[in-house]
Amino acid sequence: MTAKKDKLTIIIAGLVIGVIAAALVYFGNPKNMGFCIACFLRDTSGALGLHKAPPVQYIRPEIIGIVLGSLAMALGKKEFQAKGGSAPMTRFVLAFCAMVGCLMFLGCPFRMILRIAGGDLNAIIGLVGFICGILVGVLFLKKGFTLKRTYKLPTAEGFVLPVMEVGIFALLIAAPAFIMFTEPEVGPGAMHASVWLSLGAGLVVGALAQRTRLCMVGGIRDTVLFKETRLLLGFIAILVAALITNLILGSVTGTPYFVLGFDAQPVAYNDGLWNFLGLFLVGFACCLLGGCPLRQLVLSGEGNTDSAVVVIGLMVGAAFCHNFGLASSGEGPTPYGKIAVILCIIVVAIIGCANTFRKAE
Amino acid sequence: MTFIATFYSHFGAIRYQRLCQSKGYKAQTMPVPRNLSSSCGTCVKYEAPEMLEDPTHDEIEQIVLCKEDGYECLFRAENS
Repeated sequence: MTAKKDKLTIIIAGLVIGVIAAALVYFGNPKNMGFCIACFLRDTSGALGLHKAPPVQYIRPEIIGIVLGSLAMALGKKEFQAKGGSAPMTRFVLAFCAMVGCLMFLGCPFRMILRIAGGDLNAIIGLVGFICGILVGVLFLKKGFTLKRTYKLPTAEGFVLPVMEVGIFALLIAAPAFIMFTEPEVGPGAMHASVWLSLGAGLVVGALAQRTRLCMVGGIRDTVLFKETRLLLGFIAILVAALITNLILGSVTGTPYFVLGFDAQPVAYNDGLWNFLGLFLVGFACCLLGGCPLRQLVLSGEGNTDSAVVVIGLMVGAAFCHNFGLASSGEGPTPYGKIAVILCIIVVAIIGCANTFRKAE
Repeated sequence: MTFIATFYSHFGAIRYQRLCQSKGYKAQTMPVPRNLSSSCGTCVKYEAPEMLEDPTHDEIEQIVLCKEDGYECLFRAENS
């Protein structure tokens, strides 16, 4: 594939993903949240009873679709390979910290783009924090940061997370009493597109992201490290497509999908410092992890068990955030959340130093 | 001949690039080409008369020879 064709492919994929993400809001997802890997993993954690926050409990089929879409594409292209063993516990902790940052900002980098496309200027401040976090991560990469190599694993190991996702989907369909769903009007967990539409959207996004290696962190990292803008183009294409779709939906339906400003934005608050620091933490932690939450889901589908551990870390992090009052809300950040973000930035910095300046083993 | 080496860490690639340059080979770091791997790490593309091995570090994942119709794998780390 030539470099030009490669760029065209990721732009088309980004445009398709942007339209799908904006359209999911029309079909029922919360505003500016057609996709949010952090929010959707958090909702799934809640539905499984890992946290007890009634407004955010729902098994999100988009997550299941992304993993299975990536799996299908990887199998079809003979790229599925079970591998792992690269500092899984360190990755778990980094993922936990990344989720603390996401739930401070109220969204992952994917939702950050969708929030910007919806006119939420708070997300621009988040973007600046995200870039700063990645720049700090890049400094560690240049100084020698490594989580050491991965190893080939038995093929069955790579299927564990995808099979778990199938099991979680079965729980969504069967809806036994022990699975918790947000009651109507109680919170964003009650707002969702239909199950099969959400699953289909996830499958398409997962397959496209696997094919193009789309990654919100990678786009900025590669631009800084190599002046290579391929992944960044995917990022921009999502933004442009979601913005245009929002404007079209607004004019066709009469309901505003694009509202420019800082105040009264959906599932967001306007405290600049904590929007900045939340995504600074995400950028920093995800740069050391080698990819954003979306990328980790996609890699899990390809058989990467280190990324599967990251997904579990994100879910556990989300559960802690809601059980201990760390997660922000539309009212703003919580005092405990602020302390947690500072502590997590310190933890990520310690992990960075420990894996950059350690003595040769 | 043109070779591409892929690595388990970004720093491994930087170190290898320095090794190439110390031998007088033209070398650049870049993202791993999509048609070589689905992983998104850093690789070193270099011009040399033969493949350059680096036995002092275990950061190299694979080394391929670039050909008109694709790549020929010359080295792959054990258990990778």
